[in-house]
Amino acid sequence: MSNAIYTSLTRQQGLMQELQVVANNLANSSTTGYKTDRAIFAEFLVGAGAQQDSLSMGGLAGHTFKLEQGDFNFTGGQFDLAVQGEGFFVVQAPQGPRLTRAGHFQLSSESTLIDASGNAVLGAGGNPITIPEEATKVFIANDGSVSADGLLIDRVGVVRAQGELQRDSNTMFVAPEGYAQFEEAVVVQGALEQSNVMPVLEVARMIEVQRAYEAGQAMMEREDERINQLISAVRER
Amino acid sequence: MKSLQIAASGMAAQQTRVDVISNNIANMSTAAYRPRVAEFSDLMYQQYLTPGTITSQVGTVVPAGIQIGTGVRPSTVSMEITQGALRQTDAELDLAIDGNGFLELTLPSGEPAYTRDGKLSRSPTGEVVTMDGFPLADGIVIPEDARRISISRDGEVVAYFADGTAGQPIGTISLVRFVNEKGLEALGDNMFRETEASGPANRLVPGTEGVGFIRQGFLEDSGVDVVKEIADLIEAQRGYELNSKVITASDEMMAATTRMR
Repeated sequence: MSNAIYTSLTRQQGLMQELQVVANNLANSSTTGYKTDRAIFAEFLVGAGAQQDSLSMGGLAGHTFKLEQGDFNFTGGQFDLAVQGEGFFVVQAPQGPRLTRAGHFQLSSESTLIDASGNAVLGAGGNPITIPEEATKVFIANDGSVSADGLLIDRVGVVRAQGELQRDSNTMFVAPEGYAQFEEAVVVQGALEQSNVMPVLEVARMIEVQRAYEAGQAMMEREDERINQLISAVRER
Repeated sequence: MKSLQIAASGMAAQQTRVDVISNNIANMSTAAYRPRVAEFSDLMYQQYLTPGTITSQVGTVVPAGIQIGTGVRPSTVSMEITQGALRQTDAELDLAIDGNGFLELTLPSGEPAYTRDGKLSRSPTGEVVTMDGFPLADGIVIPEDARRISISRDGEVVAYFADGTAGQPIGTISLVRFVNEKGLEALGDNMFRETEASGPANRLVPGTEGVGFIRQGFLEDSGVDVVKEIADLIEAQRGYELNSKVITASDEMMAATTRMR
């Protein structure tokens, strides 16, 4: 009977979730290597009852993330790396290899290259990269090759995922279908890739969500009123 | 209303950033201070619909799924490894390290501490001490009648006397290097302590194996770039405001819900 209310309820629920996505984007507007999230809404059909047409409802169907390049922040840090264009660094997390664009790396006490959580950064051969302890100047070339005092040591692995990526925490991604070395990748030393969240777009989206929510609310109130009027009309008879 | 907490985590993160920046700006004139940078990472993702979930018996799967983030957290506040500008002071016990490395001090507890602040002076007993009175671990004692002290780039300390005799070597100052300097624990007063993350202290002769030279008569300035800090401060402040707008929006949406009876 109150299909109008159900339809707007699913929409309201979706809007709440979308606001969460927007909030998460804005909260991560300063997170190195963060990629903007987007919610996708899709229509789904529900049978409206026997002998009746089906009813279309909108719900959150999926989400994507914009893999666009974020701005570079030139820090000059020796182990601050960024990937220009396509590709991800690979780190060895306890749960398995993870892909990341956040190249805020440093050395461990064993002189291996690690990320901010202590996971080893993998080289092109799939092994952790160890820098000689006495190295004064470490240079990382555009193709990812790491040299210490003029001696080639290893190459920072930059990969492309095969199939869809999934998000993990700590600005890491999981590639369930595996990944392959990306030979044409461009690595920049001394820079960090900033979050690619565009605050203006997010705020605009937020306002849109809020207004749509209010519109949905008004619609439900109207529907509520209509049913009330119907009930009182029937009663008066 | 998850979005309230998400925005709150964003505000807290920007607040941390402002704290770090204000500490950097406060230390813009601290000798050999190294600026700190706050780094952030996203929190867990709530899985509403896992990508790869089978959607039909012919094997079609959900391509993207629904994963909704839950906010942000500060991941590290790391020290930038920068060389501050060397400022000439001409004081004989002002030392600057040109390159990597730290001076080793002995704390009153007997434990070692490390510093790059080379503003040293003589104690009443002739020991070479920092401004807080902690002696250099190299145990250099300057004879009372020494007229002048010369410290070479590789740390050789030579005392000259008023009677015109040849200089007399009284010790060497070594420098200490760590594999991961960012892993040092700051003790305040420009001092650091070794940790598991920094790796063990490696005492070396200045100018060898990647450590820098010692420059007598110079002090290392703070590595803080004030213009960059101010730009970051503005960014952090705007970030804070943006997150507070999300709180307002969530609040208004909730208000719309409660208006309904």
